[in-house]
This record gives sequence, C-alpha cells and structure tokens, in this order.
Amino acid sequence: MTESPGATPCPGTFARAWAKAVSGTSYLPMTQAQLESLLDRLTGQLAGALLTEPFDLRAGHRVGAELVAAHIASAEGLGRTVEVIQLRLVRDLGLVAEDVEDRMARLLAAVATGYARALRDRTLDEQESIRRAAMRARTQAERALRASEARFRHQATHDPLTGLPNRTLFTERLAAALNEPGRGAQRVGVCFLDLDRFKVVNDTLGHQIGDLLLATVAERLRKAMGEHLVARLGGDEFVILVEHTAGTDDMVAVAETALAAVGTPALVDGHELQISASIGIVERQVAGANPTDLMRAADSTLHWAKSAGGARWSLYDAERNQRELARYALSAAIPAALERGEFYLDYQPLTSLRDGSLVGVEALVRWRHPELGVLRPDSFIGLAEETGLIVQLGGWVLAEACREAEAWSAGGAAAPFVSVNLAVRQVHRPGLVQEVRALLRQTGLPPERLQLEITESTMMSTAEEPVRALRVLADLGVRIAIDDFGTGYSNLAYLRDLPVTELKVAGEFVAGLRSPSVGRTDERILASLVSLAHALDLTVTAEGVETAGQAERLRAIGCDAAQGWHFGRPAPADRILARIR
Amino acid sequence: MQRPDWAPDTIDIERPSVARMYDYYLGGSHNFAADRAAAQAMVAAVPEAPLMAQANRAFLRRAVHHLADAGIRQFLDIGSGIPTVGNVHEIAQQLDPQSRVVYVDVDPVAVAHSREILAGNERAAVVQEDLRNPEAILAHPDVRKLLDLSQPVAVMVVAVLHFVSDDDRPAELLRTLRDALAPGSYLVLSQASDDGRSEDERAEAERVYRRTDNPLWVRSRAELTALFDGFELLDPGVVWVPEWRPDTPESAEDAERAVFMGGVGRLGD
Repeated sequence: MTESPGATPCPGTFARAWAKAVSGTSYLPMTQAQLESLLDRLTGQLAGALLTEPFDLRAGHRVGAELVAAHIASAEGLGRTVEVIQLRLVRDLGLVAEDVEDRMARLLAAVATGYARALRDRTLDEQESIRRAAMRARTQAERALRASEARFRHQATHDPLTGLPNRTLFTERLAAALNEPGRGAQRVGVCFLDLDRFKVVNDTLGHQIGDLLLATVAERLRKAMGEHLVARLGGDEFVILVEHTAGTDDMVAVAETALAAVGTPALVDGHELQISASIGIVERQVAGANPTDLMRAADSTLHWAKSAGGARWSLYDAERNQRELARYALSAAIPAALERGEFYLDYQPLTSLRDGSLVGVEALVRWRHPELGVLRPDSFIGLAEETGLIVQLGGWVLAEACREAEAWSAGGAAAPFVSVNLAVRQVHRPGLVQEVRALLRQTGLPPERLQLEITESTMMSTAEEPVRALRVLADLGVRIAIDDFGTGYSNLAYLRDLPVTELKVAGEFVAGLRSPSVGRTDERILASLVSLAHALDLTVTAEGVETAGQAERLRAIGCDAAQGWHFGRPAPADRILARIR
Repeated sequence: MQRPDWAPDTIDIERPSVARMYDYYLGGSHNFAADRAAAQAMVAAVPEAPLMAQANRAFLRRAVHHLADAGIRQFLDIGSGIPTVGNVHEIAQQLDPQSRVVYVDVDPVAVAHSREILAGNERAAVVQEDLRNPEAILAHPDVRKLLDLSQPVAVMVVAVLHFVSDDDRPAELLRTLRDALAPGSYLVLSQASDDGRSEDERAEAERVYRRTDNPLWVRSRAELTALFDGFELLDPGVVWVPEWRPDTPESAEDAERAVFMGGVGRLGD
C-alpha cells in the first residue's frame, strides 16, 4: 500500500469536517477545539486500521466505542460519522490501498458495530440507573409517608399538652383489652383520676400555670405507672389502664401509687403547689365487660371519692351504684308525679310548752309512689335539691300548705300557723317574694299564719338578695324560722341582719336530754340557746321531742314550743283539724 | 404548592418529569416512556427543543468555565435536574478538584439519581428542595456544610425559572438568594423566552408542559434583565444563550433558534 501521488495528507481537514458533521447530534460536553482534537486522534486510528495488515476489526470497534464514550452518542451521530468517513477519509488523508473499498466497508461495519454495542450498553446502563433512582425515591417517599402517617397517628392519639395518650388511644386500648379473644378469664382495671380543686389553680394563678401543673402531673403519673397506660381524657382528668389484674388489691396499690405521685408538692414556675387527686377504681372480669359501662362505673366511683372530700380513692360498689341509679330514676320521675298529683302533705304539730296548745304545724311532703308506696322526704328531697327539681316541688308544697292551712281558720279558735321548709335554691330564686305574695292573696291565708323554715346554710352565701327578700316577707308578717339551729356553722352574725322570728333547735340536742351524763352538756347548750334567743326576742322550738321527760326539761329551761313524736306524729290535715276543734 | 410539610412526595413515573424530558433532549436515556412521549410531543410542537436543551447546557458549561477562571470555587445549582453529561461538578472539579458544588432539585427521582452519581464525591451534594423556597435551600445543612456563604458563590438558576410562575414572585426569590451571598458572587440565569415566537408555538409548548407538574412560564428579554436586579451583568448581557461568549463565532449562528435566553451577573463589592 502506498500513498497516492499528488495528494497532500491532511488529517486536520478531515477531523474538522467530522466535528462539524456530528455537532448538534447530541449534547457534547466540550468545546469545538476539544472535539476536533478527539476526532483527530480517532482519525489516526481509522487510517491506521485501513492500512494495517492484517486488517483488524477491533480498531473499528474501539473507535465506535470511543465516540459513544465521548457522548457523540445518537443515531444521527453514527449516521453522519459513517457518511463523513465513507466520503472523505480516504480522500482527505490521501490513502492508497489496493483493496481500499473492501477495507472501508469492513471498517465502517466495525465502527458501526462498536458504536451500536456501546450505545446499547450505555442506554441500558442509563435506564437501569434512572430506574434505580426512581425506586429509591419511591422507597424514600413511602418511608416518609409511613413516618408522616405515624406522626399523624401520634398527633391524633396523643394530647399535645402532656404528650400522654388521649381519649382516642385509651378507648382503643381499653376496647382491645376487653375484646381480645382468649382473654375472657382475665381481669382488667381502670383508675379514673381527677385533680381536686384544680380550677382554683387556674383561677388564681392562670391557665399557663395550670397547664404546667397538668404537664407535671402527667409526667409523674407516666413515670410512676410504668407499663400501665396513662391517658389524659381532657381537663384535669386522667385514666390509668391496668391489664391482667389479679383483683381489686392490685388496683388499690396502683391508685395509692398514683395518689402519692400527684400528692408530692410540685414546683411550677416558682410556685410550690400542693395538689391532691381523687380516684375512682373499677376492676372486673374481662368477660362480659364493655368499655362504656366500665368507664361510666369509673366515673360514678370517682364522684364518690370526690364527694367524700377528695384526696382518696373509691372502689366501685355495684350495690351502691344500683341505689344511686334508683335514686336517679326517682328524681327523674318527680315532674310527672307532680302532674299526676302523687304528692301530698302531712302535718306535724308544734305544741306550746307553756299551755299545751297547738301553735303551729310543720308541713311534710309525702310521695304516694305507684310502685314503691308512700315515700318520706328523705328518700327524694336530697335528690330533688341536687337536680334543681326542688324548686318545682317546693313550690307545690308551699302552695298546697297555704291552701290547706287557710281552711283551718274556719274552726274559729286561733288557727295554727303552717311552717314550710324552703330549700336553698328556693330562697335564692329571684321570684320568691312575688310567689309568696301571690299565694297569700290567692288563698287568703293571713301572712302571720305562714312560717318559712330556712337552714343556716341558706344564709352562708354572701348574696344580699335572699336577705332582702326574707326581710320583705318578714315585713309582710310572714314568720321566718331557722331550722336545725346549732348543727350548721351557727354563725350568729346573720341573726343581726335577718328578720328571724324563731329558732328551731336540732333534735340531736334534745336527744341528749335522755341520758343524764351527756344530757348535762346538751341541757346547758339548750339553756344558753334559749336565753340567747329570748334576749334577741326570738321564740325557740325544740325538735325531736320523744318523751315526757324531755318535754319537762325543755319546759324548765324555758323553751317555748316543741315538736316530736311525744306531741304527735305527722298526720293528714283533717286529723290536725280535729285537734283544734 | 402548599402541601403540609408532613405530606411526602409521591413518585409517579407515569407522569412526565421536566428533568427527565431535558435528559431526553440532551440525548440521554435517563428517562421513562411518559417522559419520552411528552418530549416527542414537545419536539413536534417546537422542533428546536433538543437544540434548545443542548444550547442551554453548552451555555452552562461556558458559564461555569468562565466563573472557575474568575476564581469561583463554590457553586449552588438550583434546578439541576438529572446531572448527567457535562454537569457543574464535572466541569468545576476538572478545573479545580477543590471546587464545591451543591445541586438542588425538587424532583425526588432526579435527587435520588444525583445522589447515586455523587456518591463518594465529598465536595458535591444534592438537596431536595424547591426554588420557590429559597430560605429552606439556604438553611439546608448540606448547603451550610459544603458552601461558605461568606465567600463568593455562583448561584446557577439555569433552565428552571420558566417553571416558576409570576404568582410565585421570581424576583423576590432571587432577591432572597442574593441577600445571602457575599460580594463577588455570581448569578447565572437562563430560561425559555418568547421573544420572536409566534403565539401558536408558545401555546403549544405550554400545552405540552401542562402534562407535567411544571407548567411553562416564558419571559421576555426585558423581564429577564430585570431579574438581575442588584447584579452587574457581564458582557454581553442577557442574550440568546448561544450568543453568550461562544467558543467559535459559528456556534452563535441562528442563536434565536435556541429559545433560551441567559446571562451572568456579578454581585458588586
């Protein structure tokens, strides 16, 4: 093989033409000069391959692969490369060989083969790499999704203030504890905990301190309770779930630990706070238990602990609960019973100790219950007071007493007054004066024949309105008596402001008159009360007089009147009337 | 855009990604069928699309070269996409291995891919973040670790701003970035421009990109120039990208066919 005479070999010209041909076929990360220099080197390899004996296909493969490696990696890049080599390589370089056409065809085939192989590998590599990236991104996104779901779930099931599980999570866990199959024989317990007088902390130190205190309590409970679930249900209510209990003793131990944890003085933002808690404990067999009943029982039990003064636990007592449910049912029945006229009044005489005459009667409400028979006030009045139904019921009693008492004056002789108990809520109601006025007008009962009995506790409130109302009533001529005097706070200050007519001395002082030893003290107290009352121009009626001896001693002390079995049991109005006539 | 921060991205390769479409224009195979279909639709609408991408990538290469020559050793490339051939770290670290590069992209696949490419490169990192959240970019621990913002940095916002709508206030985004930079820093900016384009062409291109998560917002030369507020524009200013300091005079021919306009600005002392 020889070079053709007359032609000047010029690889640079060819490389430039080649560079121009492939420019723009794909992105080339190099300058034009770098490209030309690369292609110039490859031109040398091509020329060498064309002339070398024996012909080596691998040189063509290498050139093809190098083009792809240099990112001249597109179909157009190959096409233009083949074209420019075929058209110009031999001419530009002045190559002369006998079988040059044959060799050129084989060389181009080798370049194309090397190029296609490299491009295929590169394409597959890139596809693999982007797919791997997509997979990794997806894994990461899924992980992030799971994390965010976990975070969301945590937010949805935890209380942001204390970080404790909230009602939702507690309810789930309790339901799981009760429903898990194969656990029927096991027992479970809850402590329903509520801070005592927490409202005072909020009211006096502010909600911020209150919140900090709640967080402190939560943290202590969480630490003290170990594996047991402690949840905050809201406000200052917490609940502890104890699974696999062996009996109530386990729960009592848990409750005492919790009370101790809460009871340690807490330093909150510079304030040393001493707080206590009340706990309602329910512990029962998993079999047959349901979450709603269990939590309702825990709630009632918590209220027992509260009403017993707090800073204690109470254990659920099914019988007590039953009694309370019955009482509740009874109170709920009051309005309908009023409508159906199931209430009526009995009267108990108030007898003068001077001459034995009947000075008055105390009206006592009775309930002729269709199923339970006649009920005495102690079985339903307390409840009516709690629920507020006392206003309705008390109003009926007052009206009925006025109506019946008016008729007694027809007898001619000095008719007795009727004494009616007023509940705290009735006295504090704004319309009391109008109500009494209207009743007196409608029934025609003279005001001095009506006595309203209020308890000392009625006057414990600092409100002025009740005092003013009672004064208006007293000015009308209505008698005002203090019931159960001596058993409450016996704050004598109100005797100064109130237009009281009479003190009714509690029966327990009178009961003491039976036994000579204790009786001495009670007799002295009674004597002092009587002389105090008389000094203030008040009359004194002793309650609960059961024997002639007691009556005699009361008379000796100077007590004005007495009431009790000794003088007559409560009885319907006509029996009282019979006594007057 | 206002996704709650706990809601993660979803990865849907059935949906075209602008980063992978760009790779396709550049001749790469880091793309999926949906990306190729969208890119081919784009080429049908705007036949120059591959040329645009190549011209833009060449602009990036020349700009990085220029800045490296000017002494810049820190690069923050926002909207970096699929960092395949001739990306910033390749160019910068070839000139000086000490150069530091942080890539930022919002596309999780592009980020995952970048992370693979950059594995073992201690002076380069990738951060998944959105250009529309420059505060988060600047505060990102990897950005803080690799880049010393008290020293000049080149911020590259190349071929990405046309995915930021005017409602996202691009000028404010750039101002936030600028305010974090030391004197002597640079802004490299390019984006698709509608200068000299027919309404039809623009509408069709916009239609293609509505299939992606990133609709297209083309801008004029004047708008682009205004975005260099606070920077001194280097010669030749905001031009069709092939006209920006071309390697050879020929390579700047028919420059407006590149559709992209760009420029480089320097933050004065």
